[in-house]
Amino acid sequence: MSFWHKVVVITWKDTLSEMRTREIVFSVLVFTLLVIVTFNFAFGASQEMMALVAPGILWVTFAFAGVLSLNRSFIMEKEEGCLEGLMVCPISREVIYVGKMLGSLLFMLIIEVIALPIFAFLFNLEVLSPQLVVITVLTTIGFVAVGTLFSALAVNTKAREMVLPILFLPIVVPLIICAVKASGLALSGESWGGLSSWLQIIGAFDAIFLVVSFFIFAFVIEE
Amino acid sequence: MKRKILLGVSALKMVASLYLVFLYVPTEEAMGIVQRIFYFHVPVAWVAFLAFFIVFLGSILYLWKKDSKWDVIASSSAEVGVVFATLLLITGSIWAKPIWGVWWTWEPRLTTALVLWLIYIAYLIVRSFATEESRGARFAAVVGIVGFIDVPIVALAITLWRTQHPGPVIFQGGLTPPMLLTLLICISAFTTLYLLLLMQRISMKNDEIEIRRLKELCR
Amino acid sequence: MENAGYLFAAFAIIWAVVFGYVLFVFNRQRKLRREIDSLKEALKGKEVEQ
Repeated sequence: MSFWHKVVVITWKDTLSEMRTREIVFSVLVFTLLVIVTFNFAFGASQEMMALVAPGILWVTFAFAGVLSLNRSFIMEKEEGCLEGLMVCPISREVIYVGKMLGSLLFMLIIEVIALPIFAFLFNLEVLSPQLVVITVLTTIGFVAVGTLFSALAVNTKAREMVLPILFLPIVVPLIICAVKASGLALSGESWGGLSSWLQIIGAFDAIFLVVSFFIFAFVIEE
Repeated sequence: MKRKILLGVSALKMVASLYLVFLYVPTEEAMGIVQRIFYFHVPVAWVAFLAFFIVFLGSILYLWKKDSKWDVIASSSAEVGVVFATLLLITGSIWAKPIWGVWWTWEPRLTTALVLWLIYIAYLIVRSFATEESRGARFAAVVGIVGFIDVPIVALAITLWRTQHPGPVIFQGGLTPPMLLTLLICISAFTTLYLLLLMQRISMKNDEIEIRRLKELCR
Repeated sequence: MENAGYLFAAFAIIWAVVFGYVLFVFNRQRKLRREIDSLKEALKGKEVEQ
């Protein structure tokens, strides 16, 4: 079996188990909705105010939802003993990393696809611009690249879920800053030119950390 | 013996720095005497980043060579580094208050310092949260490597953000020769101090390992 | 001499922390050394017995 074939097997396994139980996607979606609605009430009703805070709210929501989904994906593995099972298979650790990462990426994208229109509806904002879509996809990739690495790490510690945010939110700060800024610009109709420097940083982050996490992952899950 | 010499040299450099900062260098016009904090604030920042760089190197070497002496170096540097990172935040804040009127502002340097501090904390916490020591060391090494690579990206992102919202600026104008001299001596003093503290921490950790080994033998 | 208070506070904190840390580290080091020496003595005692 080739590398990508094995990766797809792992991603498909995660997707299948999620489709059967729908645990992650549902709980995260409800959480996302709750956060959006709560922030909506917290920030009052004026339209200008909304336009200002909307990108921040959006990305805080996605960040927390992302942490939740990353946590749950590895915890299930740990509890069912699947992680040991995976490691016994004759596959390289990198395959596990890419497989898990693509799985988490898929989940987050699905959540975002559902949350964004709801967001547009509640905040009255033009959300379906190609700019916003690209920003969201790129940022999510970076998020998941580092998140998979750290969530595998967190699952092997005493405090489990609680460790992940402390550990990895500071690391993704640049992603969130750039995403918020770029989203704000995109929502106010900025063209690609104005977004380019932000997208470059996000892209650089993605590239660098995909590579770094790919190589370091093995050290995290070794016994 | 070597350690005592280092301590002496360090103390000497510190005294020299104090003299330069308070008695030699002329007062800067724009900010008044508060500007003298700069001569200690910059070296503290330098050491905080230098220490993290050592954490980074130690972490890579530890994961690569699997020799625990690299982990001892990395973790010792992290412990010394976090002290300096905390001092960085404190002095930065104290300097900000009289100059900009607020204790905190989200300008690039301060915010990057905050993120650096958080990553240091993550590095130290991950050790205590691991189930065994060797795992803790490996996890910490991962945080050290990812964290170090991340910090420049953080600085870049925040700086870009700030150019869109220009905020408080550190200070205009270059450094006159006496200012430069003072700054360099202070940086040298703090670097020596860092090396001293690092070496002490490393011997302490090695001693703790030795004690554990001897205790085993005594059973 | 405005803001002299801030200048003083900053330097005082740096000095207190640095000085305190150096003292702490040198003291701990001495205690650890003493513990090592006493353990080595104990070990030597055991070997003599055997």
